[in-house]
Amino acid sequence: MLVETTLQHSKTTSNKMNAANTESSSGLSSEVLAECLVAVAERRCRTSFSKLFSHFAPRLRSYALKQIGNEAIAMELVQDTLTNVWQKAHLFNGEKGMPSTWVFTIARNLRFDFLRKMQSRKEDICADDLWPVLVEQTASLDEELVDDTVTLEQILEKVGLLPEKQKQVILAVYVHGKSQQEVADETDTPLGTIKSRTRLALQKLKELLDEND
Amino acid sequence: MINFHPSEMQLQSFANGTLNPSLSLIVSSHCDLCRHCQQKLKEVTQVVASQSLIVSEKEESDLSVFGDMMQNIMDEPEDMNTRASEPSFLDLDGRHFPLPRSLGRFVNRTASWKKLVGKLWQAQVDIGGDVRAEFIYMEHGGSVPEHTHRGNEWTLVINGEFEDGHHHFETGDLILLDSQHTHTPVSNDPDGCLVFSIVDKPLHFTSGLARLLNPFSHLFFK
Ligand SMILES: [Zn+2]
Repeated sequence: MLVETTLQHSKTTSNKMNAANTESSSGLSSEVLAECLVAVAERRCRTSFSKLFSHFAPRLRSYALKQIGNEAIAMELVQDTLTNVWQKAHLFNGEKGMPSTWVFTIARNLRFDFLRKMQSRKEDICADDLWPVLVEQTASLDEELVDDTVTLEQILEKVGLLPEKQKQVILAVYVHGKSQQEVADETDTPLGTIKSRTRLALQKLKELLDEND
Repeated sequence: MINFHPSEMQLQSFANGTLNPSLSLIVSSHCDLCRHCQQKLKEVTQVVASQSLIVSEKEESDLSVFGDMMQNIMDEPEDMNTRASEPSFLDLDGRHFPLPRSLGRFVNRTASWKKLVGKLWQAQVDIGGDVRAEFIYMEHGGSVPEHTHRGNEWTLVINGEFEDGHHHFETGDLILLDSQHTHTPVSNDPDGCLVFSIVDKPLHFTSGLARLLNPFSHLFFK
């Protein structure tokens, strides 16, 4: 008992000393990280990913070790998180939050699902139910184009000005409420193409609406 | 207007992923309905993220521990197959209730509606674990017999209004009760009231005939 207390005490002291000796690193800025994510999403840029990796891997490892304690599992969490970053960078939306917050939420979700699996009498609730980080939500048009002064008529009028293919995808998704997958199936177009077409169309719409002001 | 929200502490542990899973489901559903908490959760998550992803300069400079990990990851193709979340609904008696996104996946695990005492409807939801989850619909004037809880009762108002002898609750309100509370929910909403509720221990009925149910309550509330 006494030994344990002493041990604990010296551990705390050495932790304190560590903290004093080694400043926690600030790493890359949010702006740089966001640029890297965009570069990965748009052109699978390997240099940008290696920057993201160097920044996040040590941070995620330290987080996972604190949370889970086991080195092998911690490394798995790092790998799974960064694999998601590499494969799904297109889901990062800089307008909705910071890169580090996005990466943290991916890791937190993986950790949550991992710990669920370890329990025997567990609720069947998964991270996707609680935090839709990598779930694509079809936001309503006015949410996408957040601006209370724009009416739906104005939006629809501008939709008419879009290139034919972009117009079709916007109408299908936002007026007829189809999922992007359905549009892809119906038009025999790869899902990725439909997604980037939607993104471009929304961008274009925003520009057209901004010209009004 | 939503008046009952999760506490700052609860939002914080929810963002951390350390809040009890059942309660997390209720809090997440609340945030789907409550813009105020959505905004707050966004801020809290940012703080939690910055506190979680810290590293010393020494640890940061040593990437050798990761071996070939980076290379292996970049061998993977881009993944465009993302689960899309579609709006989901719950039907009762020709009525069509939109559900918070977080509950969407559970529509398929909801048993059919059963009429209970009075003007009360219940549909059990299989969320596994040692808890009991259900949708409860109180018709206008419908009420649940007065009861306390041996454990926790977490409830979210999905659609409509009800009173419980202490407070008035509306769509989006979050009600967290423990064994210290006794209440008698009743809905005076002309359109009735739909709630989603999770209890982690049997209810304990405190008054009238319902008291006779107590010895059997484990049959009703596993
Ligand atoms: Zn709220």
